[in-house]
Amino acid sequence: MKRFVIENSLSLFFGVILILALAGQAGTGLAEFNQQQLAAGLQPTSLGGYLLSSDFAVDVAENWQSEFLQFLLYIYATVWLLQRGSSESKELGESGPGSDQDQLLGAYATDRSPAWAREGGWRLAIYSRSLVLVMGTIFGLSWLAQSIAGHASYNAQQLSQYEDPVSWWGYVSSSDFWNRTLQNWQSEFLAVACMAVFAIYLRQRGSPESKPVGAPHDSTGDEG
Amino acid sequence: MRIRGRGAVLAALAAGLALTGCTPASASDVRAAAQRFQTAVRDHDEQAACAMLSDEARSSLEATSARKCPAALTALRLPADRPSNVQVWGNNAQARLAGGALFLAEFRSGWKITGAGCRPRPDQPYACAVRS
Repeated sequence: MKRFVIENSLSLFFGVILILALAGQAGTGLAEFNQQQLAAGLQPTSLGGYLLSSDFAVDVAENWQSEFLQFLLYIYATVWLLQRGSSESKELGESGPGSDQDQLLGAYATDRSPAWAREGGWRLAIYSRSLVLVMGTIFGLSWLAQSIAGHASYNAQQLSQYEDPVSWWGYVSSSDFWNRTLQNWQSEFLAVACMAVFAIYLRQRGSPESKPVGAPHDSTGDEG
Repeated sequence: MRIRGRGAVLAALAAGLALTGCTPASASDVRAAAQRFQTAVRDHDEQAACAMLSDEARSSLEATSARKCPAALTALRLPADRPSNVQVWGNNAQARLAGGALFLAEFRSGWKITGAGCRPRPDQPYACAVRS
C-alpha cells in the first residue's frame, strides 16, 4: 500500500485536489445560484438539485473542455514546433514524429513494448496517436456538454427575465457561448506560452518540467 | 441487453436530462398550471387566478395597482386564450398564447405564474401586465 501511494503520488495528489476543488465549486456555486434565485423572487434549491442543474454542469464542462484542448494542442504542437532554450521543446532539428529507432518501433521494439506498438498496421497507427485521440475526444465531448448545459442554463435565465428561449443552434452562435469558450481558451494558451518561455530562463530543481539548474539558457529539450 | 449495459444507458439518459434541466413530467405540469390559470381568467374567477400567481407577482400587482389582487386582475382584462406551445428550462417555463405568453416558475407548492398578460417587444423582454 505504501509503495503504491509513493509510486502513484502524482496522480493521487491531483485526484484528491480535483475532488476538493469540485466540492468547493459546488458549495460556492450553490450559494451564488440561490442568491440569484432569491433576488429574482424565485425559490432556492438544494445541493442535490444544484448538482443536477444545467448551471453546475456548464460551469464544470466549460473548464474541462479548455483543459483538454490545451493538452490536445500542446501534445500535438510539440511534435512539430520548437522553442529554443525550453525544456518543453524537443531539441532543435528534431521536429517531426521521430524515427522508428527513437520510438522503439519495428525492429527496435522490445518484449516490454506495449502490445499494439509491437503489432504494427492499423493498431500501431492508432496507438501512435492514442494520446491525441483520447484528449481530442474528451475535449469534443466536454465542449458538446458545455453547449447543451449552457443552452439550458441560458434559456432558464432568458425565461426568468421574461425573454424567449433560443434554439441550440442559436445558443452556439451566441456571444454567451463564445464568451464562455474564449475566456477559458485564452487562459489555457497563456499558461502554455508562459511555461514554454519561463522554462528557458527559470528553474525548479528536481522537476522534470525544468532544465537542470545549471543548464545553459540556450540548451533545448533538457529535463531536470 | 445486459443489466450492466441497461444501467449505463439509464445513467447516460439521466445525465443528458440533467444537462438540459428538462423532464417530460415538467412540461405536462406546466401546461396544466397554465391551462388552470387561463381557465380561471376566462371564467372571471379572479380569486382562483390570484392563488396561482407567485407571491412576488401578486405582491407586485397589489403594490402597483393599489388594489387587492382579485380587483386588480379584473381591471387588467387579461387575455383568456388557451396555452399552446410550452417550453420548460430548469425551474422556469413559458406557455405561448395567441399574441403573447405566460411565464411560470417552479416553487415547493408547484408551478406558479410569474408573468401574465405578456406581450412581445422587438429586441426587448416581454411587457407583462403582471410580473414579479
